[in-house]
Amino acid sequence: MNNFSAMLWIELRKAIRSRMPFWTTLGSLFMPLGIAFLIFLAKNPELSRKLGLVSAKADLIAYSATDWPSYLVLLAEIVSAGGFFFFILAISWVFGREFADGTLKDMLAVPVRRSSILLAKYSVVAAWSAGMALINLIFGLVIGAIIQLPGGSLSVILHGSTVVAITVCLIIAVVLPFALFASVGRGYLLPMALSVLTLITANLMMVVGRAEYFPWAVPIVYAQGEGTLTPISYWIVIITSLAGMLATYLWWMYADQNR
Amino acid sequence: MSTPIETADLGKRYGDVRAVDLLSLRVFEGEIYAFLGLNGAGKTTTIRMLLGMIKPTTGYAMVLQTRVHLGNRVPWESVGYMVEDPHAYPELTVSENLEVARRLHPGTPPKTVGQIIERLSLGPYAGRRAGTLSHGNAQRLGLAKALIHNPRLLILDEPANGLDPAGIVEIRELLLELTSTQGGTVFMSSHILAEVSRLAGRIGIIHEGHLLQELNIDELERNRKRRLLLRARDVESAHRVLVAAGQPAVILQDGTIELKNAFSIEHPDDINRMLVNADTPPTQLMVEEEELEQYFLRLVGMEAGLQNE
Repeated sequence: MNNFSAMLWIELRKAIRSRMPFWTTLGSLFMPLGIAFLIFLAKNPELSRKLGLVSAKADLIAYSATDWPSYLVLLAEIVSAGGFFFFILAISWVFGREFADGTLKDMLAVPVRRSSILLAKYSVVAAWSAGMALINLIFGLVIGAIIQLPGGSLSVILHGSTVVAITVCLIIAVVLPFALFASVGRGYLLPMALSVLTLITANLMMVVGRAEYFPWAVPIVYAQGEGTLTPISYWIVIITSLAGMLATYLWWMYADQNR
Repeated sequence: MSTPIETADLGKRYGDVRAVDLLSLRVFEGEIYAFLGLNGAGKTTTIRMLLGMIKPTTGYAMVLQTRVHLGNRVPWESVGYMVEDPHAYPELTVSENLEVARRLHPGTPPKTVGQIIERLSLGPYAGRRAGTLSHGNAQRLGLAKALIHNPRLLILDEPANGLDPAGIVEIRELLLELTSTQGGTVFMSSHILAEVSRLAGRIGIIHEGHLLQELNIDELERNRKRRLLLRARDVESAHRVLVAAGQPAVILQDGTIELKNAFSIEHPDDINRMLVNADTPPTQLMVEEEELEQYFLRLVGMEAGLQNE
């Protein structure tokens, strides 16, 4: 356990000093900000005409978020799709950088369990992602208040926020296996490329009505109001996450490290 | 005498390529063992196998009496290492990078960070980000990381790479101090024989994955080729005199007379007397020892290739 706290210190220090958590969080804030802007445009058609902006898409967004409950569903959807990319960015950085910077070799012949090193890395990814999501949620709620959405009450906001929080947990769970891709690909490129492929596949699974069995589609379906999800869907997410972490551990333990 | 490093038939294949083949060597406690080879000879692959980063396809390696396995935690508490180019977290300062290295070796007291900074003259750079260091200082930082936990065994891959002459002398003194006063053992790779000959007690020469030769430093001196070179105003006459006296003299292209036999090398005074008595005195007479690098290239069979270039 002592080793784990030392490893956690190392991983936190590396992440904070890289300023990546700050920049990714700042970047992610454009998601709720963008939605707020579209709702604002839809509510002010005069302004959008003056500015020469096309408001059809804004109207679409605005009609789907006319009150607090629907706005919170929209927020959860944004977090499930947009957050996925930002979380992938976090995990790609935490794992891939050791290969890109050539620093992995310094952690291999040391008297610390590889599992402690990996656990510290996963913890930082989870904290980084959850922190990013929390700031987005708070920011989204403030925006909701500013644009004066109707139908808001403490219980509605609490329920909506819980949905966002569970969505975030589900996404973090399905993002953790991407550490394996960062390790096997020895850098950032493979997990980033596979994240695009995964999201496309998730959408495809939703179109063909099998989203509940595709782990990376489950958070999106959950954000939309559970829909077709069954207990099996959640088990698939848990198993995918654990299998990904186990595969990453085995790779770190037994693969040749030439870099 | 204990052997901090021992390998038996250690080998690594990548497809049809044998990066290291049946390597058996022993490094004794308290010695500096230099592992010499050209680029691509198999030095780094061997070092990675010793450190449990690469799985051997044949044989095994023992480090500090422990058989090396991938992912093991032992015996690394007593081993310091630097593999290939030194890398550090670019956004962390020198001190922070050393703090990371310290925490990777539980039990190492916090004060060692300051001590190692002083020992490796990194004081002026302690607060500087590692990404802005010169190659030489990055190399010092790499060595500092390897030494921070006061290891019994140091495994270093080309430790003098990128260092200026003063840095090389400093590292040499540091390694000699480690072995002489602290009883530590050093296994270091290099591709420059002259560099390691001043430091190592024993040298292992690897070429194309094979251990060609293992020799002590005095054997190295004995094995190097020597020859007597002389010049005279009348080269032809001097040559005739020497041949008539039974000496295997050869006139080289530049008009220098070369003698490679033991008598000539051991008794240049007698050769001089012969020539003076025959009224063809030498204008220049010297025993030349084969350059270390020439000797190394001769061993790995590349001398002819270089001469033809």
